[in-house]
Amino acid sequence: MSDSIIGAGPKRIDGQRKVTGAAPYAADHHPDNMAYGYGVFSTIARGTVTGLDLDAARQSPGVIDIFHHDHFPELHRSPSSMAQGNKVEETRLPFEDNQVHYEGQFVALVVADTFENARAAARKVGVSYQRDDNAIANLDQGVKAHGTQKGQGNHERGDAAGNFDGAAHSIDVTYTTPVENHNPMEMHASVASWEGDRLTIFESSQGVVQQRGALSKIFGIPQEHIRVESPFIGSGFGSKLWMWPHAVAVSAAAREIGRPVQLVVPRQQMFTTTGHRPETRQRMRLATDERGRLVSLRHESINTTSFTDQYVETCGSVTKSLYSCPNLLVSHETTRVNRGTPTSMRAPGAAPGLFALESAIDEMALAAGVDPLEFRMNNYATRDESQDLDFSSNHIREATEKAAEKFGWQDRNPEVGSMRDGHEIIGYGMAACNWEAIKRECEARVSLRADGTAYVTCATQDIGTGTYTIIAQTVSELTGLPLEKITVRLGDTSYPKGPISGGSWTTATTLPAIAAATREAIKELKGYATGEKGDFAGVDSDSDSLTFENGQLTHDGQSVDYVDVLKGQKLASADGHAHTQGADDKYSYRSFGAHFVEVRWDPGISNLRVSRVVSAIDVGRVINSMTARNQVEGAIVMGLGMAHFEATEYDARNGRPVNNNYAEYVVPVHADQPPEVDVILLDYPDLAFNEFGARGIGEIGITGMAAAVANAVYHATGKRIRDLPIFKEKLMENVPEVQSA
Amino acid sequence: MSDHHNNEGLGVETFDARSPSRRRFLKTMGASSLAAATAPAWAQIAQAGQQQKEPVEPRDDGAPAEGEQQIQLTVNGVAHTLNVKPNAVLLDVLRDRLMLTGTKKGCDQGQCGACTLLVNDTAINSCLSLAVSHDGDEITTIEGLSQGDELHPVQVAFWAHDAYQCGYCTSGQIMSAVAILNDDNIGSDDASVREAMSGNICRCGAYKNILAAVQDARGKMEGAS
Ligand code: FES
Ligand code: FES
Repeated sequence: MSDSIIGAGPKRIDGQRKVTGAAPYAADHHPDNMAYGYGVFSTIARGTVTGLDLDAARQSPGVIDIFHHDHFPELHRSPSSMAQGNKVEETRLPFEDNQVHYEGQFVALVVADTFENARAAARKVGVSYQRDDNAIANLDQGVKAHGTQKGQGNHERGDAAGNFDGAAHSIDVTYTTPVENHNPMEMHASVASWEGDRLTIFESSQGVVQQRGALSKIFGIPQEHIRVESPFIGSGFGSKLWMWPHAVAVSAAAREIGRPVQLVVPRQQMFTTTGHRPETRQRMRLATDERGRLVSLRHESINTTSFTDQYVETCGSVTKSLYSCPNLLVSHETTRVNRGTPTSMRAPGAAPGLFALESAIDEMALAAGVDPLEFRMNNYATRDESQDLDFSSNHIREATEKAAEKFGWQDRNPEVGSMRDGHEIIGYGMAACNWEAIKRECEARVSLRADGTAYVTCATQDIGTGTYTIIAQTVSELTGLPLEKITVRLGDTSYPKGPISGGSWTTATTLPAIAAATREAIKELKGYATGEKGDFAGVDSDSDSLTFENGQLTHDGQSVDYVDVLKGQKLASADGHAHTQGADDKYSYRSFGAHFVEVRWDPGISNLRVSRVVSAIDVGRVINSMTARNQVEGAIVMGLGMAHFEATEYDARNGRPVNNNYAEYVVPVHADQPPEVDVILLDYPDLAFNEFGARGIGEIGITGMAAAVANAVYHATGKRIRDLPIFKEKLMENVPEVQSA
Repeated sequence: MSDHHNNEGLGVETFDARSPSRRRFLKTMGASSLAAATAPAWAQIAQAGQQQKEPVEPRDDGAPAEGEQQIQLTVNGVAHTLNVKPNAVLLDVLRDRLMLTGTKKGCDQGQCGACTLLVNDTAINSCLSLAVSHDGDEITTIEGLSQGDELHPVQVAFWAHDAYQCGYCTSGQIMSAVAILNDDNIGSDDASVREAMSGNICRCGAYKNILAAVQDARGKMEGAS
């Protein structure tokens, strides 16, 4: 297998389209006679729309129609079931009534002949409100006003409370994380067209199949009448997993006016009406015995949700199984605030959850007087105690050791603020990372064509992770065709059903289906070759002596190119379709790893930066070494954003977001990139999980990053920041003494 | 499209042998604002290639309607006469009127760099610029960078280094990279490139690979000039 294309790092098959601007994203579509929509959004967080002044807008040039709660077709809600394939996060339909549940909610939609005219008219729409002054602006206000609701994903074993009191060492600390917005580069966009009762919608979507299902329920038309296309998306990070109100609004508008309509959600409303990672408060109570072995662990979290839907951020999902501890409690609760409905953001649950857990482990190690690395080595679980299952494959110890060695952890002086370089104080911190591996059912079709190419279809998406390329690698591996001869088509509901692109499911879910479909196509080809008119007429097509390798069918020393088999019988292609199943429950399937971070703190000028990151990741087999590494490096960058910058702030008086743009919601830019980022991919195939041994790689890199930074900041400054992000202001009290250079 | 782009010795002379447009390019040089003396070969080649293309639809030669203004834009070497509203933004005119959708909109407020393109060889955020203020300007977008099937060295380097994930910031990153590689005032060290590229957000976080691509392309472009 050493020359296998699986595991190699070929450049992306869709790369040329990306570097030439030819890759079509949703808003690049301009069907004939297309009109443009522009939203009008609520400027209060809670209350009622009492009136709309539309006169000026109606007279504005080019306006075709203006939709709002008194002028919108009757639609139905989606049951929002992932199993049924119609999940949405915000179940309330746009313009359903005159109620306002959050700032930035659609209150009207102007449709005009051009983008300029739609935007100009939207700004002329007057909206009057009855404002409810009891808007709930944040988690604290929500809990105070009406308490919490029970969430899911809870777990209890042993007696955590009983083993806490009287333990040799213990900590009881609370961590908080703010609202984060995914802020993919491409704003959510839809282009909807109807032909009779058939809808085609180009959407920036991580899940075309689920969107089709939801639209079918909402419009009450058969799924077969709906086509959702998303061949390229300007990323999503979870915000584009489930359809949001804009797509319903634009689809209805297009049907009403009888023209295609394009709608782009403005950047400001990407902070309100397309989901976010909710605010969390997490209480951590840990205790160890004399030797620093965990004897009690409680992780209790509350997250904010909307007034329309319950979204649970499962912060304790990793806590259940990462460390060995007989007495453990994980609980999730939610509280309602006047914000849009939250949704999964990269590593939902685990990203904020591991900030708390891995910071707490650092604090616990210090309290027990043990090096944080050693503490983890002593306490890592060897099996999944929450499910009473073995891990299918777990190399966290090796990952931790390898990264530690490369990073130089042994040079760390444990004393706070002791490592200096001129004006700068250096801090070393580490954290474990962890994410579950999921494989779902999937369909795919592969055609081996008489022109010597292969054509592959699946209704999953490539959201930038490299799915197009790894699918082509899979077909190449099984057929011997070079990548240039393999066409992969994704992101279209007219293809066989594929999974959402999220949760790191895509690789493990799609590749087995692609492989099975390829084998089916080869089987069909063998059938043709052994048929009456075939080159191997009379040979048993199932016989082991009939082989297919590098595009050649061989039997008894005689070889025929598969193209000739097809051409000889005037056939266009040999086709295979497959429907593969999800993972079994024989093992606990998870990915593992560890981050090591160096920060430099210059107290004189209050400058804090991450200067070095070394991460070792155990995600099973890596399918494409180049795109896989890119995923982890990108997740590290997003993790740095989470650690240092990212927070959507809401005015506590009225619940309105105050930094709803890319300048004030700070995300990492080129200049924030640490000079050294070193990713080690362990590459142990997890063959119990699937034939390729791959577990998926999109999420794991962000988990634990914020804690690794926070732990390094503590080591440098002596300040334990338990409230993300680690703004420099938080470090500026009691500045440590500066050593002159 | 071949995977391999041989950029060795791709100086103007080599290129001349393959492109009938070179002479025309030189003729137009005087009138254009292109800084021929200092611009690397690839910047010139990109412009040269555009000269041979014929103007394409849409082309409004009719008188502007009330409230509109007639402007001339030369985009990727092709002249367009357009009647535009005073509130029409350059980015939207390119995307919605000329169907040049390679330039992306990431924020519409000058904060992300996705809409970066070159106006008279200077990189700007096209979402912040009214179309009427560009009457007579020469504009280069991502679509105008490659020479037929021959990718620009920056494009080649982005592909080779996996300097993207979703690809949505990529047009803007590439246009900024072309501009900074042609700008003698910007240092060639990593920190200078990072600083200079910081107006282009990549939310996918492909910064490490983008830097590698820019530095790799630098060598190729220098070799060509
Ligand atoms: S779209 Fe122009 S800077 Fe963001
Ligand atoms: S590649 Fe996705 S934003 Fe840069």
